[in-house]
Amino acid sequence: MRYCEGTPYSKRVCLLGLTACLIILLFLFLGLPPLHAASDSPDPDTGAGVNVPVAGKQVEEAGSIPVATAEKPSDEYGNVTEEEVVGSEELRIADPIEPWNRAMYHVNDKFYFWLLKPTAKGYKYVVPEAVRGLVSNFYQNLEAPVRIVNNFLQGKPGYAGLELARFLINSTVGVGGLRDCATECFGINGRDADFGQTLGTYGLGFGFYVVWPILGPSSPRDTVGWMGDWLLRPQSYLSSKWISPESVGLYAHETVNYMSFHLGDYEAIKGAAIDPYIAMRDAYVQYRKSLIER
Amino acid sequence: MRIWLGGLMLVILLMVPFPAFAGVPLDTVKTNVNGVLDVLRDPKLQGEAGKKVKEQRIAAAAEKLFDFVELSKRTLGLNWNKFTPDQRKEFVELFKTILKDAYVEKITAYTNEQVNFTKEVPLSEDTVEVQSVVVTKGGQVPIYYRVLKKEKEWKVYDVVIEGVSLISNYRTQFREILGNNPPEKLLETLRKKVGKG
Repeated sequence: MRYCEGTPYSKRVCLLGLTACLIILLFLFLGLPPLHAASDSPDPDTGAGVNVPVAGKQVEEAGSIPVATAEKPSDEYGNVTEEEVVGSEELRIADPIEPWNRAMYHVNDKFYFWLLKPTAKGYKYVVPEAVRGLVSNFYQNLEAPVRIVNNFLQGKPGYAGLELARFLINSTVGVGGLRDCATECFGINGRDADFGQTLGTYGLGFGFYVVWPILGPSSPRDTVGWMGDWLLRPQSYLSSKWISPESVGLYAHETVNYMSFHLGDYEAIKGAAIDPYIAMRDAYVQYRKSLIER
Repeated sequence: MRIWLGGLMLVILLMVPFPAFAGVPLDTVKTNVNGVLDVLRDPKLQGEAGKKVKEQRIAAAAEKLFDFVELSKRTLGLNWNKFTPDQRKEFVELFKTILKDAYVEKITAYTNEQVNFTKEVPLSEDTVEVQSVVVTKGGQVPIYYRVLKKEKEWKVYDVVIEGVSLISNYRTQFREILGNNPPEKLLETLRKKVGKG
């Protein structure tokens, strides 16, 4: 990557170096504790101050005929039992570098409000919605190799085939990917897939929570995944370097274009949260996990 | 021939119980959500005055669609038992206000999004997940409503947007506060949040 800049190395040597980096990173974090699902264990002694209306509950149970709905109707605010409330397993992610992450969360928060949001707003004002839609389709189509390869790696060759078909249709009939004709004209729906997700389906845990400046919430696994996806993006091959002004510029444009459709989303999440940092971290874990299961 | 007939009978028998169950939770959510969409698209409700009416109607629809007590219970999990009955009532009210403040305004900004209800998936004996997709210009957003049967009525106790469960998200946040603080501390935090909004 950066060490390749300005050196006479060929791209092939660079690729080797990058692959080596990836492998080292993979090894580094294979040894880390995977994401653990743990249930909310109650403190048995802290519930002592609450007067428990057990007797009342039993009386009601005896009084009504159906057993299934016995205690609920008249005692809505009564105590809960474990099976009543713990429907799904708890998701937790290790956060050993929380001070760094919190600092980076604030950096990204400022980055959004000071730079990204005003830029996206201006962009939205200048570029008509129809054009932004075409741009969105165009970038989506360019990322087809990422989806094809990863669907395949995840053991879903059917979806890989569908994504390949979408890519061929949209690149031709869809005028270089400007229109999503595969969906609109033929009703072919693909499946999103990325390399972090692939590693997840192979049983690799998140590792721990990392917030990167500008790029946002991630984990060692998804960082490796992100780098893998970068290699599959045609944009990365515009220049002889992996990270070039061209590829970064296109990525920035893609982000601004995406953001022009999603202004206000982050504000809503932040506004609804009690602790926005925790809310974002949990949303990241839940979202990434759901992608792997989808 | 007899085997064939027996098979046919079995198939018919198998088909019977399903339609009896399917449809009610999905229809309940669909009717309520479509009601909200009708309010949002009402051409008579425009400008600032219209926005106020819209917000009131959406809040009323939310009251009908959601079971805020159940939602609160499941969000707090077993921590709910640490709250006194009065604290529980206050928590439900505060949590409801926070959710409304956060989402009602956001919802009123929507106009031409299309909502498709796709299917329902039973989660347990008395809970069902109603799945829907919101089609926007920027892409598709899957929104799943988890509903619970209570006194013959289906009420929403959780919303899962893009795989992120609302109650799990809040549970993680509340657990962080309740880990080393009494319930009063959480209520205080929520009161402050409501006061600001």
